[in-house]
Amino acid sequence: MTIMRCVLALFLALSCCVAAVAHHSPVVFDRTREVKLVGVVKEFRWSNPHSFIELEVRNEKGQAELWAVEMNPPSYLVKAGWKSSTIKPGQTVTIMINPLRTPEKAGKFVSLTMEDGKVLTETPLPTAP
Amino acid sequence: MTVLPRAVLIVSFIIAIPCMGFAQTLGALNPANIAKQRPKAPFDLTGTWMHDNKGGPNAWRFVPPTFKLTPEAQVHYDAGEKAKKEGKVYRDDIGQCWPAGMPLIMTRVWPIAMIQLPTAIYMTSAFMNGLRIIYLDGRPHSDPDIVVASFNGESIGRWEGDTLVVDTKYFPGHHHWMDQGGASIPASDKLHIVERIRLIEKGSVLEIEYTMDDPKNWEGEWKTTKRFSRVNDDITEAECWPDLNDHIRSTTSSSQVK
Repeated sequence: MTIMRCVLALFLALSCCVAAVAHHSPVVFDRTREVKLVGVVKEFRWSNPHSFIELEVRNEKGQAELWAVEMNPPSYLVKAGWKSSTIKPGQTVTIMINPLRTPEKAGKFVSLTMEDGKVLTETPLPTAP
Repeated sequence: MTVLPRAVLIVSFIIAIPCMGFAQTLGALNPANIAKQRPKAPFDLTGTWMHDNKGGPNAWRFVPPTFKLTPEAQVHYDAGEKAKKEGKVYRDDIGQCWPAGMPLIMTRVWPIAMIQLPTAIYMTSAFMNGLRIIYLDGRPHSDPDIVVASFNGESIGRWEGDTLVVDTKYFPGHHHWMDQGGASIPASDKLHIVERIRLIEKGSVLEIEYTMDDPKNWEGEWKTTKRFSRVNDDITEAECWPDLNDHIRSTTSSSQVK
């Protein structure tokens, strides 16, 4: 069963102040909100300039929806304990994202909780101290 | 003169024409060019460098706090401000896999590998593996009718005391911006960048003072100074694979204003 709840998060940073690391601008994500996705990993790509997870999530009607979870490059994931084999297609995981400000099913990765309860985040990109 | 010697003379002249006055510039990696006698360079910046981003949250940006735009640039700037208010981004061409180009390629938070020879400095950014070459062998800028415009431009460097002065121009004038996700100000084919590069703090910091002008887009000169620190990282391959944006779907969402 899909569970999606909006959790009001603390202001982490103004989106305009995130360093330019990605190939695309991060201003399109709402950093004041977190959305919880529970689903099955369809793909996990370990690559530059972005790693990503494609997650199949069942909505309230039981229909499958494919969510795109955008992550930092592998070098920032390794520092947080990730490996390319950390998750595999077919695994059920819980992911927190900062969602897009527009309706599409995509968001910026915040954290992942494995079935055994282990929580993984990613090393943040350099920003101003 | 008899017919035969005249014919030989004519044929010799025809053969010689391609070799007359068309002395080819030696390539920067041509051994003969590298071996030429030159004064020793004041410094060698060979290494991997990364912008230190210590000047504040927007330290990586190049657009000054105040500016006066041309009417053409103002249209884009206003469209960018409107998009931001709607939670969208205007013309994020880097996100569409266009090169970041100069100057933004320098302050992406990816390491830049720099290799200095007497004839040139080769820079490869880990960001999309953007290549930049600064020629040090005394060549002038290319003929504008022949040069091929590029997002990192054509850079010619010369030494002034302890400073490397680099003059860069010949940009394509399309899909090229002075900022990303901030001030939507384009870079035209008339963008001109001068960098004054110094190696300071016992060789641990690269300080680059930028002076930029683009009469098609803004009035006067923009100045900013960036600092880069040595890092121990090796650069890796990072390409905008054709299916990247199929998965990084913020780039194809309605948040993108084209």
